[in-house]
Amino acid sequence: MRATLNQLYRLSSAAAALCLCVIAGLVLVQVFGRIVDGVLRAFQMPILGITVPSLNEIAGFLFVAATFLALASTLRMADHIRVSMLIKAVPEAMRRWLEVLVLLAGGTLAAYASYHAVFLVIDSIEFNSVSFGVIPIPLAIPQTALAIGLIVFAISLFDELVLVLRGHVPTYQVHEAAKSDSLNTPVLDDDFSKRETV
Amino acid sequence: MAIEMLALVLGLTMLVALALGLWVSLALSAVAILGIVIATSVPVGTVMATTIWGKLNSWELTALPMFIWMGEILFRSRLSQDMFAGLAPWMRGLPGRLLHVNILGCTIFAAVSGSSAATTATIGRMSLPELSGRGYDPRIAIGTLAGSGTLGLLIPPSIILIVYGAATEQSIARLFIAGVLPGIMLAMLFMGFTAAWAVMNRDKMPAAEPVIPFAERIAATRRLLPVILLIVAVIGSIYAGLASPTEAAAVGVFCALVLSWLSGTLTKETFTDALLGATRTSCMIAFILAGAAFLTVAMGYTRIPRELASWISVMELSPYMLLAALTLFFIVLGCFLDGISIVVLTTSIILPMVQAAGIDPIWFGIFLVLVVEMSQITPPVGFNLFVIQGMTGRNIFQVALYALPFFGLLVVGTVLLVAFPEIALWLPETMLSNN
Repeated sequence: MRATLNQLYRLSSAAAALCLCVIAGLVLVQVFGRIVDGVLRAFQMPILGITVPSLNEIAGFLFVAATFLALASTLRMADHIRVSMLIKAVPEAMRRWLEVLVLLAGGTLAAYASYHAVFLVIDSIEFNSVSFGVIPIPLAIPQTALAIGLIVFAISLFDELVLVLRGHVPTYQVHEAAKSDSLNTPVLDDDFSKRETV
Repeated sequence: MAIEMLALVLGLTMLVALALGLWVSLALSAVAILGIVIATSVPVGTVMATTIWGKLNSWELTALPMFIWMGEILFRSRLSQDMFAGLAPWMRGLPGRLLHVNILGCTIFAAVSGSSAATTATIGRMSLPELSGRGYDPRIAIGTLAGSGTLGLLIPPSIILIVYGAATEQSIARLFIAGVLPGIMLAMLFMGFTAAWAVMNRDKMPAAEPVIPFAERIAATRRLLPVILLIVAVIGSIYAGLASPTEAAAVGVFCALVLSWLSGTLTKETFTDALLGATRTSCMIAFILAGAAFLTVAMGYTRIPRELASWISVMELSPYMLLAALTLFFIVLGCFLDGISIVVLTTSIILPMVQAAGIDPIWFGIFLVLVVEMSQITPPVGFNLFVIQGMTGRNIFQVALYALPFFGLLVVGTVLLVAFPEIALWLPETMLSNN
């Protein structure tokens, strides 16, 4: 079970990273195509006219996919921001209950959002909605990525909730701690702290 | 429910949700759902799904992950070392000497990275040990770093300006160009202050080091040239209307990869780390934007921002009074919230009021970023303070104390920006393409 879930989060985040690579690749093709044409035109040669049709829309769709597919791993790596002043200040036992509370609230919200994201996809399929560009892309495709990302996010929140209820430390808390640890290892020798007292 | 009561309930819910440690984006959505359920009978879930989809599915926003990625790649390259070695020889003759490396280094790195924490970490990693080894007073060394690290937010490419532009539907290219002069102005204020401090505190400065011959300075700076060219290419092509921010950013990613390959720091590991880091940071910001977009729509249903705007106009505050009040409000908010959350909350609730007062939204974006910069160095929540605490082992309140003069300079900068709005607005007017 644990291994399957971890694999799910890894796959989802790899897909998100791939979306970013594709955006960069497509935009670069477009830009270099334009540069090459500019040079050719300057020498009065026939242009190649390399463009990526509907690039603006495709890039926007890929951005949505990248954002939502990365939600779960962003949570686990403690990159989603929150105000942790209170949660870090209270005693350990109370902290656990606060984590249960926010995970329950977060999980419910994410599940609610997933449910309506699925309806968004169903609507798009039913009304056969496509994008306006040169290449008509069924909106259901990027919206499916949105829905899947939200579902994986909801799963990861409930996953963490179960962990905490079983008495474990949530994954993001491990990474939160690891982050502040690596930050707390001074890169300076004691020179700096000594100097001030001189 | 009366609108005052509704505003109170929603405000308190937001406060409690944030204080308990609910993730910011989820807290924004929770308040939005509550607002819609109380104020109207529209189907909440459908509004939520269509708003999030409609807002994030945008070509302009794709600049966000690209610029973050470019910064992540350069953050893992040799830039930190090159920056110190390349800038230090030039600074020896100025009063304040190598302290200026902090300020100029941050200014330059800010022009390839949109984050103030990354800027502070990249420059500080090299400059703090060097300055300490050479006997500079740690208080001013840390203070200059904390202060100038905030420039990462203002000087384009700026992540926070992309967020503001996306949330308020302003042109990101114009916002970027508007940030250039105020950024340079702040860097000059910081350098002027540091020079004056050095002149007045000669006893706290280490003995002068010999001046380096001109030819050697040029040789030392050689490695910085590609980065400077990259900056000129990215900002210049946006200014000249040759490329949209997204296109400039993708080219920036490509050039950053080439630079990192040439300097021998591009490995499979650094590539994957940078890519995954960019994926997660971009995800975090975009998800907050999604929550904020939903909240903005919800606020529209509750009519709170409109009521607030008319309430303010009845009070007949002058724009100056309004801005002074907002500055104070943001400084307090900035003690507890991070910059991006402040910007999205502002745009959902305060922007109608600002526009009703006749304030230019591009100018307001720059003003907002300046005020948010202050929040980076105010305890207990200030990201630059956390970074420097990590690097020096000194607690954030101490670091905040060292950075206090720079907080003051940011206030001076804000006053100048209010007195002379052209500092932000002149350059975008002259842009070759007005899109």
